[in-house]
Amino acid sequence: MSITTCTVILDNGASTIKAGILGIHDEQPRVIPNAIVRAKGDNATYIGHEVAKCQDYTSLRFRLPFEKVGARTLTIHPLGPTRYSCQGFLVDWDAQKAIWDGLFSKEVLAVNTAESSLLITEPYFNLPNIQDIYDQFVFEEYEFRSYFRCSPASLVPYGPLLAKPNMSPSECLLVIDSGFSFTHVVPILEGAVVWEAVKRIDVGGKLLTNHLKETVSYRQWNMMEETYIMNEIKEACCFVSEDFAKDLETCRARPTRNPIVQDYIFPDYSAHRPGRIRAPGESLGESYQTLTMNNERFTIPEILFRPTDIGLEQAGLSATVAASIALLPEDLQGMFWANIGLVGGNTAMPGFRNRLMAELRSLAPIDCEVAVYASDEPILEAYRSAVAFAARPEFPQFAVTREEYQEMGSNACRRKFRDWKPVEKDSARGREPAKGKGARGRADEDDESPPPATKKSARGRGRGRGASKRQS
Amino acid sequence: MPPARRQPVRQAQNTSGPLDPDVISKRTKRHLDELERSNYSEPTGSGAHAGVSGEPDEEDEGVAPGGRTTKGRARQATISDKRQWDGKKPKKSTMNIRTAILYKKNLAVLLDESGIEQMPPGVPTYLRAVASAPLEPPRLLCSVCGYWGKYKCKRCAMPYCDINCEGIHNETRCERRVI
Repeated sequence: MSITTCTVILDNGASTIKAGILGIHDEQPRVIPNAIVRAKGDNATYIGHEVAKCQDYTSLRFRLPFEKVGARTLTIHPLGPTRYSCQGFLVDWDAQKAIWDGLFSKEVLAVNTAESSLLITEPYFNLPNIQDIYDQFVFEEYEFRSYFRCSPASLVPYGPLLAKPNMSPSECLLVIDSGFSFTHVVPILEGAVVWEAVKRIDVGGKLLTNHLKETVSYRQWNMMEETYIMNEIKEACCFVSEDFAKDLETCRARPTRNPIVQDYIFPDYSAHRPGRIRAPGESLGESYQTLTMNNERFTIPEILFRPTDIGLEQAGLSATVAASIALLPEDLQGMFWANIGLVGGNTAMPGFRNRLMAELRSLAPIDCEVAVYASDEPILEAYRSAVAFAARPEFPQFAVTREEYQEMGSNACRRKFRDWKPVEKDSARGREPAKGKGARGRADEDDESPPPATKKSARGRGRGRGASKRQS
Repeated sequence: MPPARRQPVRQAQNTSGPLDPDVISKRTKRHLDELERSNYSEPTGSGAHAGVSGEPDEEDEGVAPGGRTTKGRARQATISDKRQWDGKKPKKSTMNIRTAILYKKNLAVLLDESGIEQMPPGVPTYLRAVASAPLEPPRLLCSVCGYWGKYKCKRCAMPYCDINCEGIHNETRCERRVI
């Protein structure tokens, strides 16, 4: 076979998978929906990459590997008054395996997994028991040679987003990752995520699409079955308002004086006509149906900045950024204000960066510089950062090899990966102490002659562990 | 003799006084949960008085209704076994993999099993990373048209902006969420 050892990069998002092989798909990864879709038109099931073959996107039903399961179970879950939603973790492994099988097959990447290395992203604060299943799938099912698992934001320091010409990248940066399931504020110090200061808002692209769908269905057409189309409309029409009160007044004005109002022409799949925004003054034939987007265009994304608009008792994005920075070492806070990076699909909305800048400026100390770096393609940003990280010569030293896994199971991954993981003295780990001790000895040996980057990460990890010990 | 004037049912209920704040917050919470569903097409629950909706949540399973599982019951049909790529014979998976595929665990169960709730205070976890409560009070936006909501419904406390929207609100939002 022509495929020899290669590194597969898999930014495994809840909405789309961004995947590629190092050296081949560095600029443009394959982007496939992380979903199994049942189409109403032809009553066929499309898995992952096959969704592109679908001709008719009306009334699609989605099955997502990343899923919130059992809303009702959680309402009776005794967790006090704070509501927490609980989507965004990988729970449907059957669906995920079907999608990954297709992805690794000749139809997409054509990799022999047993001859490859893997870099895969996982959700922030991924549950330890789910992390174990990741390890099992990577080594037992796909038998990768070695693999590295981390959260998307932890890769951003290696990527192009905050890189300045002729300067080494900043030691302090703050990544805002606003994705499909939620929005995270992730401060990174010397290459390691400061997990104590990571904050989450339970607003993501899925909630925004659903809310738009509901609003539009209430006011105009019933679009409740059309998640796919509404998501396209959201991406085409929605923007973040830079002056909410003014825009709200504008929307009350007559259409001639209202620059915000737009008509969206619905797609017509029988005529192979995709949906689009109607040009001003354009006259349409009988067969066209349109949806008028007025204040829906900005009141939907507004939820990211004011979750209380839909009754979600959480602070908005800007206040959450300020709260996160307040938890960081005081002498470094100024550095974080000046190095804020945006990744994730929601940040692609026009006006997002300006609005955030304006709000942060009023929250930051007066003598602080505030700078927000946005990407042209925020969805691909984590992937591109992952490419940069995997291309480094020291990357193999971060990865866990198949032999290490065969010897000590998921413990190997828990010791070696520097991202969030359960604290050492965990009851679940108590029953295999001898194994654990052996693994620790080995890990220390590895640390004896580390390259500079390893030192950094080891320091970060050491600090985390020290802090948790002090607490316990 | 003219026929006895019958009051419309909805109005009769509307006069039954303000709703309990608990009921209102439960309603809001249910709405937020609905916004997280993958195939959200119809509001669950039958109005303000239904505490918990009775039907099982089949919505999110969507594609494989036969494979719906609860804790401990094996999935009937797996989608990953059905489809083979490259014409290769499927390899025999290990026990761990089969377990993960066949027994889809509820996230609440996973949360319990993960033990992150028992972690010592000060250790950051998923549960503790949630953004804090907002400092400013919620602003009032009309639940019908999205403009500033100057008034609040006496019964369910939802804001609306004028008498037109009030009428629509009473018809479609106050009693139960109609789409």
